[in-house]
Amino acid sequence: MSTISRDRPPAPGPIRPMTFPAIERRRLDNGLAILAARHGDLPLVTAELVVDAGAAGDPARKAGLAHLTANALETGTRSRSADEIAWELESLGVELDAEATWDATTVRITVPSERLEAAFALFADLVRHPAFPEAEVERLRDEQLATILQRRKEPRALANDMAARFIFAPDVPYARPLIGTTASVEGLGRDDVEAFHRTHFLPNASSILFVGDIDADAAAGLADRHFGDWPAGQPTTPEFEVVPGVETSTIFVVHRPGAVQSEIRIGDVGVSRHHEDYFPLLVMNTILGGAFTSRLNMSLRERHGFTYGAHSSFAFRRRPGPFVVQAAVATEVTARAVEEALKEMAALRADGATEQEVAAARDYLRGILPLQLQTTDQLASRLADLVIFDLPDDYFQHYREEIARVEPADVHRVARDHLRLDRLAIVVVGDADRVAPALESLGVGGVWVHVDY
Amino acid sequence: MGLGLGLGLGPGAEGPEHALRAAPHTNTSGGGWANVKIPFEQFRLDNGLRVVFSRDSGVPVVAINLWYQVGSRNERPGRTGFAHLFEHMMFQGSEHVPESGHFALIEQAGGSLNGSTWLDRTNYFETLPSHYLELGLWLESDRLGWLLPAMTQEKLDNQRDVVKNERRWRVDNQPYGDWDERIQALVYPPDHPYHHSVIGSMEDLDAASLEDVEQFFRTYYAPNNAVLTLCGEFDPAQARDLVERYFGEIPPGPPVPPIPGRTEIPQVIGRPVREVVEQDISLPRFYLAFRIPPYGSEGYYPATVAAQVLAWGRASRLYRRLVRERRLAQDVAAYAFPIVVGASMLVLWATARPGVEPERLEAALLDEIAALRDVSAADVERAIHLIEARRLIDLQRVDERADMLSMYTSLFDDPGRINTEIESIRAVTPEAVRDFAAAFLGEENRATLLYVPRAEGGAA
Repeated sequence: MSTISRDRPPAPGPIRPMTFPAIERRRLDNGLAILAARHGDLPLVTAELVVDAGAAGDPARKAGLAHLTANALETGTRSRSADEIAWELESLGVELDAEATWDATTVRITVPSERLEAAFALFADLVRHPAFPEAEVERLRDEQLATILQRRKEPRALANDMAARFIFAPDVPYARPLIGTTASVEGLGRDDVEAFHRTHFLPNASSILFVGDIDADAAAGLADRHFGDWPAGQPTTPEFEVVPGVETSTIFVVHRPGAVQSEIRIGDVGVSRHHEDYFPLLVMNTILGGAFTSRLNMSLRERHGFTYGAHSSFAFRRRPGPFVVQAAVATEVTARAVEEALKEMAALRADGATEQEVAAARDYLRGILPLQLQTTDQLASRLADLVIFDLPDDYFQHYREEIARVEPADVHRVARDHLRLDRLAIVVVGDADRVAPALESLGVGGVWVHVDY
Repeated sequence: MGLGLGLGLGPGAEGPEHALRAAPHTNTSGGGWANVKIPFEQFRLDNGLRVVFSRDSGVPVVAINLWYQVGSRNERPGRTGFAHLFEHMMFQGSEHVPESGHFALIEQAGGSLNGSTWLDRTNYFETLPSHYLELGLWLESDRLGWLLPAMTQEKLDNQRDVVKNERRWRVDNQPYGDWDERIQALVYPPDHPYHHSVIGSMEDLDAASLEDVEQFFRTYYAPNNAVLTLCGEFDPAQARDLVERYFGEIPPGPPVPPIPGRTEIPQVIGRPVREVVEQDISLPRFYLAFRIPPYGSEGYYPATVAAQVLAWGRASRLYRRLVRERRLAQDVAAYAFPIVVGASMLVLWATARPGVEPERLEAALLDEIAALRDVSAADVERAIHLIEARRLIDLQRVDERADMLSMYTSLFDDPGRINTEIESIRAVTPEAVRDFAAAFLGEENRATLLYVPRAEGGAA
């Protein structure tokens, strides 16, 4: 046994090779794209349908429709009632996950490979032949309305919704909650859901991803048997401009009398997933608020004890999603916490980051990638990103090189370009009587108190 | 529905595990996939540290996981929440690791990390690229062997503030946020170690001192009270050598004192208990809780199957009847807690839809619980198949496997339960679920917690 020294961190051993799963593509005659990747050594397969139909396409008066449609897929088909389809799937041990995001609707199952054939037949039935029974659609609509009601009393959800509302101009889809508003959802019915499905669920606007214990030929054969005669149609793409909701920095206090904590959101319009600064922004955000040792968390949590955690993130969508700094802080330190967060943003803008910080952030992002690709459904999510954002199949092979290329100068440049301190929508959900005066005296911008929301 | 209190790490970090992962069991249909076995080996160092290795050569990462057999159950009166506050202090550096060095070194290595505290245990874990295995062992051994020289009043005050904000975030500023605190107090008598919550009271957090840190460390943080698991891609001979070098010289601690309070309690509450709470919420919600046999005993497994029959999935009884058919509930959930001291509990909740009187929802819930006397073979089979598939899905992650191995070793001294516990689940018959329901889901064993919207004021 050799001796060890505890005085300094042991040096790493030789790095071990990492191979990313190869992606194989097929396409059915009706245009349906098939992506397959072998992954893991357990007998499991994730099958995920990605439909080019997201909530960004919901018209304002029908906001929440994509969400309702995704939920309503499970309410029965032409040949199976809601109870029957749930019973058949779950008796196979399968939980179905259908979700609308801003850019796409996804439907996913993860199933022991031996049961894939049986489960996939049910999956195909509910995707292609949903009956949307009126009573079931109305039940789900009413549950969606109740969820909207609950979000008003849930400080984190409320803060997220209010941040979106003020970061974007009112007619931008991203300004609305993805699940809609009381006014928009009240008007939704079976016909809307049926029309959404008929218009958007098209093979030539969809992909099916197979990840795990399956090869590309078997995947394509399976897809062809169940989706081969799915008729193509005319896909549509939503067109809209993303416009900021504020011209100068403004503080919106959302009044919750007696709140013991303030939920802070400091937001701005970010960038789209296609932006050329994507990789430098990942590194910059890691330094600002994307890791435990980020500047925001070290300041607000580890130095000041204001919060349990402070984070920042860019929501990269097809069009510019929000950039948000967030923390839940004790009521009495609310203004100080906002001030510290702004100070960290200003410092990164003014001086950039050190060589060492940039190196640490690069190493973090490169190292963490394999940890995020352990399971079949994690990899399926990444393949869905390739589809939604039209990225090349060798994207993950080059991901770590792209990160490695980011230099301190790039970080400084993107901090200057994308942290716009003069155009921030700052939302504070808390007790306005106790926090508004101090926020006013920060001199950041006008303070508006919202009592009805 | 996290089971533990974590550190609140940001994006990219591991979240606290969810309830179902604690019930990693399996099925009846006997496919090869249902019999997937996780290989492992175990040994013990002279100082009492139990070590489990499980290799898998998929991705070049390694999960390091430590369970310390100390949780909120070990806290003394006046110091509720201390086990969790102490967990936070374990990330503040040790003799050879600078303050915040623990986080920084792991993140720079491209790893993720967290810790969590629960009733029976405190766990610490990181997943690293395999070539950083030694770094992880250095960090973990240093805080087990050399924590106290790095403890300061300033760090304690800072983490106390962080944890108080964690309490505000999870409990005090969150709709229904204090449900587990209230349910534990209803289900367990005041002198039982599960009577109080993991997060503890603000008052007790304020009272915690550096002397408490020292005493707690000396009492519970010793190799003979811990389990270390490595899972992933590594060379076992080299790893064993490293574990012996980094952990071997840490002296064993004195025998761990017995869990304070009354640990043996009747397995039923004995009378109905009820609490009604007004809160600033939109919709009323019921929590119903029942004492059940402790985790690991044969009597526990029918309870966990019953919970799935009741509320897991859209073909579950409560979803089918209360959500879909009768439209009384907005959502339903049920699960058995994997806890081992005296008695565990089964908790069930349902949120009323707008306009539904809580009394109607309550009556319907009780009807469905009573209807378990007619549970069918198909109900039980569906539940077992779901549990079985979920187990397989969870086993994909090295951190999940490592945590399970630490759990089975820590609670039962048997890492092999990761492969054999499925037998106990497979053995659950409809009769066993019926017998369980008859014995444990009656009125005399029921704690009811009802949240109702505050009548006036609080309009925000």
